[in-house]
Amino acid sequence: MGNWERMVWNQRHLLLDGLVVTLEICLIAFAAAIVGGLVLCLVRLYVRPLRPVAIALIEFFRATPIFVQLLWVNYVWPELFGWPGSSFTAGWVALALQSSGYLAETFRAGIEAVPRGQREAGLSAGMSHALAFRRIVLPQVLLMVAPSLVNQFTVIVKSSTLVSVITVQDLMFQSQKIVHTWLDPIEILTATAAIYILVVFAVSALGKALADVLRRRYGLAAS
Amino acid sequence: MSGALAEALNPAVFWEYRAILFKGLAFNFYVFACAAAAALALGLGAALLRVNRWRPLRWAGTLHVEIFRNAPDYVMVVWVHFVLPLLLGLAIGRRLEFPPFLSAVIALGLVYSGYFAETFRAGIQSIPLGQIEAGRACGMPERLILWRIILPQVVRRMLPEAVNQFVSLFKATTIVSLIAVPDLMYQVSMVTQQEMRPLPLYTGAALTYFAIIFLASSLVRAAAERWRQKVYA
Amino acid sequence: MIFHRERTVSSIPAISVVDVHKSFGPLAVLKGVSFDVPRGSVVSMIGASGSGKSTLLRCINHLETPSAGEIYIDGEPMHFRVAGDGQRKPRPIAEINRLRRDLGMVFQQFNLWPHMTVLGNVVEAPRRVRGLKRRQAGELALECLRRVQLLDKAEEYPARLSGGQQQRVAIARALAMQPKAMLFDEATSSLDPELTDEVLAVMRDLARDGTTMIVVTHEMRFAREVSDRVLFLHNGLIEEAGPPEEVFGAPKSERCRQFLSKYLQ
Repeated sequence: MGNWERMVWNQRHLLLDGLVVTLEICLIAFAAAIVGGLVLCLVRLYVRPLRPVAIALIEFFRATPIFVQLLWVNYVWPELFGWPGSSFTAGWVALALQSSGYLAETFRAGIEAVPRGQREAGLSAGMSHALAFRRIVLPQVLLMVAPSLVNQFTVIVKSSTLVSVITVQDLMFQSQKIVHTWLDPIEILTATAAIYILVVFAVSALGKALADVLRRRYGLAAS
Repeated sequence: MSGALAEALNPAVFWEYRAILFKGLAFNFYVFACAAAAALALGLGAALLRVNRWRPLRWAGTLHVEIFRNAPDYVMVVWVHFVLPLLLGLAIGRRLEFPPFLSAVIALGLVYSGYFAETFRAGIQSIPLGQIEAGRACGMPERLILWRIILPQVVRRMLPEAVNQFVSLFKATTIVSLIAVPDLMYQVSMVTQQEMRPLPLYTGAALTYFAIIFLASSLVRAAAERWRQKVYA
Repeated sequence: MIFHRERTVSSIPAISVVDVHKSFGPLAVLKGVSFDVPRGSVVSMIGASGSGKSTLLRCINHLETPSAGEIYIDGEPMHFRVAGDGQRKPRPIAEINRLRRDLGMVFQQFNLWPHMTVLGNVVEAPRRVRGLKRRQAGELALECLRRVQLLDKAEEYPARLSGGQQQRVAIARALAMQPKAMLFDEATSSLDPELTDEVLAVMRDLARDGTTMIVVTHEMRFAREVSDRVLFLHNGLIEEAGPPEEVFGAPKSERCRQFLSKYLQ
């Protein structure tokens, strides 16, 4: 049991490589989810004819479990669309789809929380709808939803553990590889769990601090 | 591509194996029910620790919440299934192995107890102190105040949030196939190995889960809203 | 049926406060307060905000714990028990709860429980704390509601009632425990002026029936007309104490005079 050094410390390069892959896939998914969520949200709110499509997509991405989406994107999409080509891409695409569903709703709540009077003040000053949105509404929305975005990032990190199943070489994959090599799971799996817990904890502590700053500076309650 | 699309949306294979597949789905519900019960009980316990007068108890509650709330579901499932039996086995001097169903329930129950604990805690702390003092002024013991005044209102206030977490828990049960619990995804992968036709099966699984979860969460949302509005809470 | 009040004045005061001090950290709010409340009498406490009146009231039923001094309910010490060998032992919270049953408190913020009906609020403590059977508790509750003239609102939820009605329900709820004394903590301060009268009327009735009451209030006219004794608190001490004619008519303390002149414009 007391093989911490042999099991964990000596394998730290493998674990670090895995951690890097995990963070890569999470950051890319996060960026894609923000874009996707924003697009879905704006289409739902402002593009009348496409509203049902947007709503259907949002509900679909939110209601389907991430594991199912992962397998679906990885095994079915290449047959249907010829893409994605690699499991890494399938990984971040699935993670992004899932989160964009939630973020679309988050953005919508944020947009609806900006008092209508502010937009009207912009319009009275001669701004176009688009300009009013870009300069008045959007900045406030981004500030308000920032803590929720950080929270969604922790969700992505936690879900990313499943990409190991489609053989993406993330932290989970590497640690399971080590377990299969050395056949002794205790130290390595506990260490892996601890790493994930610490990373998620750190990010959510950041999110809480961010929410505090926003509340104090701008008087905005986090949504 | 249209050939593949037709293939993907062809329900024939899914329909052919529906008996086994639905048996698998039943397993998802079974795991969900047990894990939900565990998560609620542990979550309430942890929340009560967090609001206790004693600082060591508060720390214990916070530790529980922070560990399990921040742990990824899959990591927890793997750890409970492969590591926990070994640790317990060392403690009692025998070789232990957990049946996959038990590991799944324990792991998901622990993780979601973290979420429920936070929900309960926020609810408990949102009850105005005055109502508690009114109870004390009548000579009510703290336990009575908790069960008759605090918790009934906490349940009403936190219902929407709790429903969201139940939905997440159900979605999380899909990963138990990875430790060989025979749920829907497990059966899908078994059938795929036999039939070598993943498209309709994976698509079918996705649509099945979507239908169930979407229906369930819409229904419960509507019902919870009506129940909440019966009483000002 | 129920409210047979002791008209004879027994020699043991219903409530006895002996040299009570209370500090919140470095801030001393009560600096040594002593007084008795004879059974069946009404004692009013007046004074500026921050003088310690509410804190004193809350010490009496242990919502605040005094830093020093003692409180006796019907001769029984609240915070300690005298064991067989004459030693003083601190009382566990369960016993203090038992003593609290004999004190009814009415709060400034009413503090009704919103998830129960009016009747539910009144019935709760008699059933679950005193252990009355459902029928008994129900009859008792309806009697209390009749007394505050809210019998017709028994099945309503508190949110549907006006402030004055809610406070009267709170009074009924306190009465349902059949306490030895009623404590009123600025019971009308949260109410709109139009609604104050209905609550004061109920309080007047209770006084007339011989209920032992301690009333912390800003309603000077009420205090003057209803009390047997008035205490003026300033800065954590009783500056002036006596029958209302004395305290209101010819106060000895300068501060009391200033306070009254401001209030009785």
